[in-house]
This record gives sequence, structure tokens and C-alpha cells, in this order.
Amino acid sequence: MALIWNETGVVENDRFASGEETPFIDLDAALTAAEEGANSLAVLVAPGDDVSRLAPVLDRVALVALDFPAFSDGRGFSHATLLRDRLGYEGEIRAVGDVQLDQVPFMLRVGITSVETRHEPTARRLTEMRLPGVGLHYQPSARRSQRPSETSYSWRRRTADAG
Amino acid sequence: MYRYDEFDHEFVAGRVAQFRDQVSRRLKGDISEDAFKPLRLMNGVYLQLHAYMLRVAIPYGTLSSRQMRMLAHIARRYDRGYGHFTTRQNIQYNWPKLGEIPDILEELASVEMHAIQTSGNCIRNVTADHFAGASADEVADPRPYAEILRQWSSLHPEFSFLPRKFKIAVTAAEHDRAAIQVHDIGLQLKKNEKGELGFAVWIGGGQGRTPMIAKKIKDFLPEADLLSYVTAIVRVYNLHGRRDNKFKARIKILVHETGTEELTAQIDAEWAQLRGGELTLPAEDIASIQAYFAPPPLTDRPEGWAQLAAWKRTDADFSAWVAQNVAPHRHPDYGMVTISLKPIGGIPGDASAEQMEVIADLAEELGFDEIRVTHEQNLVLPHVALADLEPLYRALAANGLATANAGLITDIIACPGLDYCALANARSIPVAQEISERFGDAARQREIGDLKIKISGCINACGHHHVGHIGILGVEKKGAELYQITLGGSADENTSIGEIIGRGFEPERITDAVETIVETYLAGRSNDKEDFLAYYRRVGSAPFKDALYGEKSQAA
Repeated sequence: MALIWNETGVVENDRFASGEETPFIDLDAALTAAEEGANSLAVLVAPGDDVSRLAPVLDRVALVALDFPAFSDGRGFSHATLLRDRLGYEGEIRAVGDVQLDQVPFMLRVGITSVETRHEPTARRLTEMRLPGVGLHYQPSARRSQRPSETSYSWRRRTADAG
Repeated sequence: MYRYDEFDHEFVAGRVAQFRDQVSRRLKGDISEDAFKPLRLMNGVYLQLHAYMLRVAIPYGTLSSRQMRMLAHIARRYDRGYGHFTTRQNIQYNWPKLGEIPDILEELASVEMHAIQTSGNCIRNVTADHFAGASADEVADPRPYAEILRQWSSLHPEFSFLPRKFKIAVTAAEHDRAAIQVHDIGLQLKKNEKGELGFAVWIGGGQGRTPMIAKKIKDFLPEADLLSYVTAIVRVYNLHGRRDNKFKARIKILVHETGTEELTAQIDAEWAQLRGGELTLPAEDIASIQAYFAPPPLTDRPEGWAQLAAWKRTDADFSAWVAQNVAPHRHPDYGMVTISLKPIGGIPGDASAEQMEVIADLAEELGFDEIRVTHEQNLVLPHVALADLEPLYRALAANGLATANAGLITDIIACPGLDYCALANARSIPVAQEISERFGDAARQREIGDLKIKISGCINACGHHHVGHIGILGVEKKGAELYQITLGGSADENTSIGEIIGRGFEPERITDAVETIVETYLAGRSNDKEDFLAYYRRVGSAPFKDALYGEKSQAA
């Protein structure tokens, strides 16, 4: 059973939870549907997709699911960055696939807002709201974070809610 | 050198706590070994043949005495009393216990060190010229830029799961001592016509099973654009680098398959979007990082010249060591001292805890508290007054650290090989030891002159055999070790990949083969100014093939 989680906690009865049928359509189908006037699309972006193709239809998208087919496949991190920084997408971005605990802090930083995971130890820690990340960063990222101080180096950031 | 501020301390402490949590989840079984692997690798923890191995980062190879003493302490307390300096200017411990690694990281953090990104498919420890800040031929110290890249790449959220590892090297001299053309990104700090600092940028160099020389994709990148441009390169690589085959996953393959021109266009298109944004480096930030690397207060010590001349007259061994291991400093009264970790018959790059402590003391006393690790697995004291060379030499010699072989045939690079490494097909260390013994005679080495032998125990090429003047690659054939020889490789500003000379040699014949190659060179060189590489480039492989395999092999 997949767990859906965002920064406020576990999300029950999410309308885009994966069940017997996938709630998502792929990129090509989404472009076609948007052309036909559909709204509230839930689009699954595969690692090899060119996410910028979504640009003209983003106002019709309710959720972008980024597929992480393996722990080692980090293309979704760039997709999320481009969606936020380049395309100005402000809706929900969800990581789906082989999502494991130690990636979640990175995912939040690049602008992913929710995750779906089937990995039981990951689900447990997320439920307990115990994330393993470091709240200090040496690079700006899509998620809002602050300069630690006015005089700190330009590339440094501190996650707003980190101590 | 760079000192941590509060932010850095807090970051590294946070990272140690994070890894401690990961280890405890692994030990509890919450994470499988498969899932733990990328996590431990991002913290420098490998699983080798017999034990875990911890690789500690030494950013751009710069260490203080205090840090070196900590490395000695860790060797003694958590390992078997020694450490192994690597070709990535890092140090490896071969016998730590997994449960103790978080403690080791905590000890390292107390001296501003860590093991972040010393392995794994992320941006690795950034390397630089080991003579940075001391040599006469650099346009500026490259280490501030390496430090900025170190910070920016640490736990980068977008670039922690790249197709494969990613290595960046920085140099600031025309004569390249940092091997930038065999790196994923090679940066050469230079000045433009207006006197502004910037970088020539190379990408796609690498060794491994498909060695490639990097392509220059930018002639002058303004220093302010360093991070935006590197981000553009790594983003294009992250999105488009191959992930279907780990042996084709480095950026060199992407460059090769996409074409340099097309890939450069993609990088430039990405950069056009990033340029001028929040990754732009403010001049005051560059200046304040540079301030950490201000040169030490080198007072004039002209008395050293006469003393040195007198000492050299009375002690031939000292004289030979100065000639071979001391290079001119930009201040005429000082020298840059290479401490060889290649004693005759020893294990290349190994140092005992006691030796590390001696070096720490000497650096503090005579070397402005600075030590460098070279990618050739030696140590360097970059600022030593000529007037202090004699006492330094005596102390080094008393501890087995004064071998006068920097750059000579016994200054061998070797990977750990089958004695430690789970990937290796053949042993490397015993081959290095036997060659070192065979050519151990000091006079014979000097007669042979500059000759770099590099040995890898498998095709992954950690021993850099592709760029050895003589490269030796251990392979496995029908269950036995066999050593293939390449000739003519080099990793300097005239980088070349060595060419395979012919069929391989059994372990008991490889040293003889090397000797045959050396004798062929000595017999054929036009004079003793023509070094091995120059000779090879002039005459090619034919005389070596004849000598190794007989004249008939040419016809066959």
C-alpha cells in the first residue's frame, strides 16, 4: 500500500493516489488532452522526457508526477528544478516510484511537494515526521530558502524551518 | 588555507548526524545493502574484499599540521596504524568498522574535515595543482575556486544521483600538474587581455575502459560565471548522460556520442538561462575566499643559498635529494619540497601514523603549517626556506621519508589492486614493489631520468595507467594474472593516451619487460636530455616492440 506524504504529514484519500489503475497520463497524452480542452491533468513525467514540452499547458495541470524508477536515477531532480525555476510551475509536484527516505530532503529542496512511497521503513519515518536532511545548504534551489545572513556567501542557504 | 566558519561547522555536524542515523538504520535492517550502498558511497564508505574502506576528503590536497595529526590518530585508533594517500589527493583507511565510522567522521569534523562525496555518482572531491600558491608559473592561486566548487557541490540536491561519478580539477599554470584533460571538467585559471581572471573549460576527459582526452569548450569563462556554467554542464549531463550501461555513463561518452559542437550548444543554451542569475559570484565573495589562501609571510632568507651549497658539497645523498625533490619556489630563498611516499620496495602512497606525525611536526616547524597531497601519491611541503632544507632532510631521512625519487622510475603510481579492491583483476602493489626494487639504485634512476610508471589492477584505471609514460594494466586471462603494457601516455598540458605495445606479460616477466623497455630507451636516446616520453614521441613503438617480442613480430 502506497503512502502519500507532504510536509504537513500523511495525506489520506488523496485523489491521485496510485491504485489498481494509474491516476496519471503520460506526457504525450497530456498534451493531446490539453489541446482538447481538458483541465486538472495529472501528468506522469518519465525520466527521459523533455519536461519543457509541458510549458504551454501547465495552466491545465493539477499535478506533475516525476518518476524515480530507481534510487540511482536522478533525472527527476533536474525535471523538478526546471519546472519550478524555468517554467514557473507552481502546482503540486509529486515524486513517485522507488522513493526512499534519504532522497526526500533533496526532493523538497528542488521543489517537489509530495511523495508516494511503498518502502515501509521510509513510510514509517515520514509518518513520524523524522526527516534525515541537513538544514544548511551550499546552493540556492527551487524551494524557498533564505540567505543565512546578509553577509554570508551568495551561494549559501538555510531552510526556512531549520533551526 | 580555508577555515570553517560557523555555517560549515554546523553543516558538517549535521552531515555526521545524518550518516550516523543511516548507519543505525542499516545495522537495524531498515535499509537493505542495495539501498545503503549509494548512501555510504556518498560518504566515502566502500565495501572492499576484506572490510569496509573509508576515503576521507582532502579538498584540493591541502592539509594543516593539525589535520595531519588527526589522520595519524585515526590510523592508530581505528585502523592498523597506517593510511593510504590516493590519486585523488585523498586518504583511505582500509580496515575501519562500519559501526565506528560515524565516530571517525565526528573526529574529522573537529579538525574541519569530512568524507562527503569521496565516492558515489556525485561531484567528487575537487582537485588542484599541488604546488598551488607556491609555484612561480601560476596566474593566481586556483584553490579559492576549488573551495567555492567544493562548497557548491556539497550535498547538491539536483546533482547527487548523476549517471556516474563526476570529477573536476583546477589548475592555474600553463604547465598542467593537475591532469585537467583527463577530468570530467578541467578548469585552467587564466587572464584575458584586460587582465581579468577566468577559465578555459575542458569537458569529457577520463580514463577507465574508454580513455578520452577532454575537449576545450570555452576559451574564457569569466570567474563570476563559474557556478552558473558548471551547473549548465552538470544539468545537461544529468538529463542526457547514459544510464543504461555504467561503463558508458561518464560525460566523456556523452561528449563522444553527441559530438562536442552539439553538446557545447546544449550547454550554452542552458547557460543562457542561468547566466546572470543567483549563481553569479559576487566579486566580494571571491575576494573573501581568496583571503583565506593568502600566502604565508615569507621573509627573505638569503643565507640559505650559501648554506645549501656547502651542505651539498659535503653530502652527496642530500645533494641528490635536493636536486630531485626540491623545486623552485616563487620566492627565490624558498623551495617546494616533495616528500616521497615511494620508498624503494614500499607500497606507493602508504604512510604510517608515526610518519604522518613527523611530517605534521616538520610542516609546523619549517613549512608554515602547510602540507599538500599530490595526485601522484606523494606529500609536499610547499614553502620551505633553503636555509631549512638540511635539518628537514635529516628528520625525513630518519623516518624513511627522504627517498630522492620524485618523478623518477621508482616514483610509481599504483592502485590498491587485488590485495584490497573488490573490482581488481590483478595485483598492483607487488608489481610496483618489484619494479621499485629492480630500479632501486639511485644512480641508475637518475641516469634514466624522468619516467612515470603507473599501474592499474583493472580496466577502471584508478592507477592512471593510460597516462603513464609506461602504463601497466593488470588483466585476468584464463584465471591467471597478465600485465598489458602501454607506452607514451601523459597527463600534462600535452596529454596523450598510451598505446598498447603488444601481448601481455605474466607476473614473473613484467619487471623484465619494463627493464627491456628502459634499456631500449637508454640505448636509443639521442642524449641524456631526451627523456623517455620525448624519445617515444620521436621514434614511436617499433624499437620497443622489436626488443620485447623480436623483429619477427613486426612482420607477423
